[in-house]
Amino acid sequence: MTVYYTQLDGTTLGTWDVSVRAPAPGESSAGVLHDLVTYAAVQAVAGPPAQTSAVRFPPGTRVRDVTVNGATAVVDLSKEVTSGSGGSFEENGEFKGLVYTLTGIPSINTVQITIEGRTVETLPGGHLELDAPLRRSDW
Amino acid sequence: MLRFVARIGSAIAIFVLLATTVVRAETVSYAFERSTITFTHIARTASGLAVGIDDPAFRSLLKSLGATLTARPGDHTVLITTSAPDVISFGVGDAQYSVGSLTAQARFAPYANGSEVFLPFDDVLHALGVSPQDGVLERLLTSVDVQGYGVQAVLVARGAGVLRPRVVSDGPDRVVYAFDGVGTTLAPQRAISAGGIRNVLITSSGTARDPQTLLTIELAPNTRHDPPQSGSGEFEVAFGTNGSAPPLVEPLRETVAVAPADMGTSSPSPEPSASPGGTATVNGVSVQPTNDGGQSVLIAVTGNAAYEWHRLRAPDNRFWIDIEGAQLAGGPLDQAEPNPLIALRVRQIDPQTVRVALSLAGDTALDVSPSATGVSVTLGTAAVADNAPHSGTGTVGTVVSASEPQTTVTPVPADEYGAPNDENSWKFGPQTYVPTNPKLIVIDPGHGGSDRGSMHGDLQEAVLTLDMAQRVQTILLARGWQVKMTRTVDHDVDATPASTQEAIRLGHDNADAYALQARDDIANEAGARLFVSIHCNAYLNSGPNGVTVYDSKPIDAALALAMDRTIALAGLGVKDDGVVKSHLYVTMHANMPAILIETAFLTNPADYAKLSSSDWRQRMAEAIADGIDRYAQANPVPNSGE
Repeated sequence: MTVYYTQLDGTTLGTWDVSVRAPAPGESSAGVLHDLVTYAAVQAVAGPPAQTSAVRFPPGTRVRDVTVNGATAVVDLSKEVTSGSGGSFEENGEFKGLVYTLTGIPSINTVQITIEGRTVETLPGGHLELDAPLRRSDW
Repeated sequence: MLRFVARIGSAIAIFVLLATTVVRAETVSYAFERSTITFTHIARTASGLAVGIDDPAFRSLLKSLGATLTARPGDHTVLITTSAPDVISFGVGDAQYSVGSLTAQARFAPYANGSEVFLPFDDVLHALGVSPQDGVLERLLTSVDVQGYGVQAVLVARGAGVLRPRVVSDGPDRVVYAFDGVGTTLAPQRAISAGGIRNVLITSSGTARDPQTLLTIELAPNTRHDPPQSGSGEFEVAFGTNGSAPPLVEPLRETVAVAPADMGTSSPSPEPSASPGGTATVNGVSVQPTNDGGQSVLIAVTGNAAYEWHRLRAPDNRFWIDIEGAQLAGGPLDQAEPNPLIALRVRQIDPQTVRVALSLAGDTALDVSPSATGVSVTLGTAAVADNAPHSGTGTVGTVVSASEPQTTVTPVPADEYGAPNDENSWKFGPQTYVPTNPKLIVIDPGHGGSDRGSMHGDLQEAVLTLDMAQRVQTILLARGWQVKMTRTVDHDVDATPASTQEAIRLGHDNADAYALQARDDIANEAGARLFVSIHCNAYLNSGPNGVTVYDSKPIDAALALAMDRTIALAGLGVKDDGVVKSHLYVTMHANMPAILIETAFLTNPADYAKLSSSDWRQRMAEAIADGIDRYAQANPVPNSGE
């Protein structure tokens, strides 16, 4: 699976690959997809290996929950995501990598972000619109 | 054997596993960080101890190491994000697990007992950089890397949890750091010779219960170093000779020497494949007039590549071509072009694809052909034929005859470009806007009141944006424009009926939760010509700098481009980071052409100094006003007498 991140020019994407385990015997396709989306979201939020320069989510940001609703992946992030620098640069880059990663999964076209279970207009004092699903064509 | 059985059938496998290998639930205790930690969800299997992921002691260990766990009852995957950050991934029934991009073999496969997943205890601790031995859980220093940048070098140490070493000695020929409570299995010595670092020595001392690791860096004469920085998962120090300041800000890309010795599975992963995607290079794009009054866009490509193009007819009038398997030489390009073009954009849109996008003045005929030097897009002056293709594909390179025409017609892929009826999409959004008040510009000073925006040093974004916005207002008024400010004091922007409705729709009890919609409502209700939001950028570290113009909708593009060009040429001494398209709220929900200008980075020292200067803010305000004039002159409102 390809995981995307945004380079420090704020726009160019980079990638790294992670291996995906084979489905367990008897595992449902919905279960496999849910695990895959969760894995992708956790990887994208963690970002590439530390020595790679990347626009990163604030330290401590974690994926609380992931649900797949049709073609939309709903990713619930922990409150630490609100502890960033407050610049458009950071929001734009971190969410671009996350959305590209998740929409790289077949059948996932859009990504809805929630924070601690709530839909928000933007991050507090933020810029990027989060109350509607994001998609690759937003960038 | 266990792994084989587990893969045959989960129910049988788990039954066999539980029936034959788990002796009994028990507890184990270890000394950790000068206290005792007792695991209670422990099972003893034939291959070693297993720990349940809901074990309170296990959760508390993760927390103290700065690691987080993601797993829901019933999930087959358990994910742990370390403080590095690396993602450790275990799958139920699979003895292979991964740490970052490395995979390793566990002693036995994780298994589920009811809704709780049990992990191989020794393996998960090893992956976390913790060593269990002699009744002690020892945090390990897992890697020490030196990245050289010519005469400068950055030493990075990583391990379990946050490393906060003490400086033991700091002399002209050596620096010694002590990592208290941290052990190591790293090789004791390595020669480096980069950035003034000669040798790195790693020595263990202390006791089993109270380990210590000493890191000695032997230096060449006249080597200086920065104060060390402890990030979330690493410790780094920059060294440099030449007496220059070391390069913690914006290190160069080249890595002269990465020197891992024995790093185990929790070592950092190799550099990811950030760029080497295709074999082709896009060397440049040029525009030349044709004999019949059209324009020819020549895309110079070396190597072999496939391309795919799409055009959108009126009212969108856009064309783009993706060169697949190609790298863009040089930076992205944004420039205005003469008729029948409006603008040209060139971007590396992903590691494998270079996109050349054209804004077209009208619904003109065009032809895409491979040439000896790449691909040419020729725009004529005649209107496009009704039956002309909307898209096509082709190849460039030695395997293809230079004259071979492209013929394949493919539909627009909905995944890649958004659904064709999606108003939020760049390509399909509204293309026209007629202001009811062509002389009115809305200026939006970002943040304010309870929202301070970014803060750094003595500067607050909410204050700076109002200052610059008021300067823009003064200049525009003097030039005959009308100006409406979304705020004129350092207050929150009041909620509007529409913003309140949106807040209620999303279940917020505070109408101010929709503060950005309120700003857009001011411009939308006034029928303003343009919406210009003024901000200051920031990041988690001091590297990123420069001015960026963000846009979101198709009708924003010309304004964004005019503003970016004007600011870039205004001699403000700030790096031009170009126009960036993003889904920002204020630009997306303003009906009119709208941009958000991140004037400079508060978190970058050079940019900070500029933002501190009232003279610089005045010149930035003049550049913003000039950008508005430049756009307005090139894009008069029809029937407005301009």
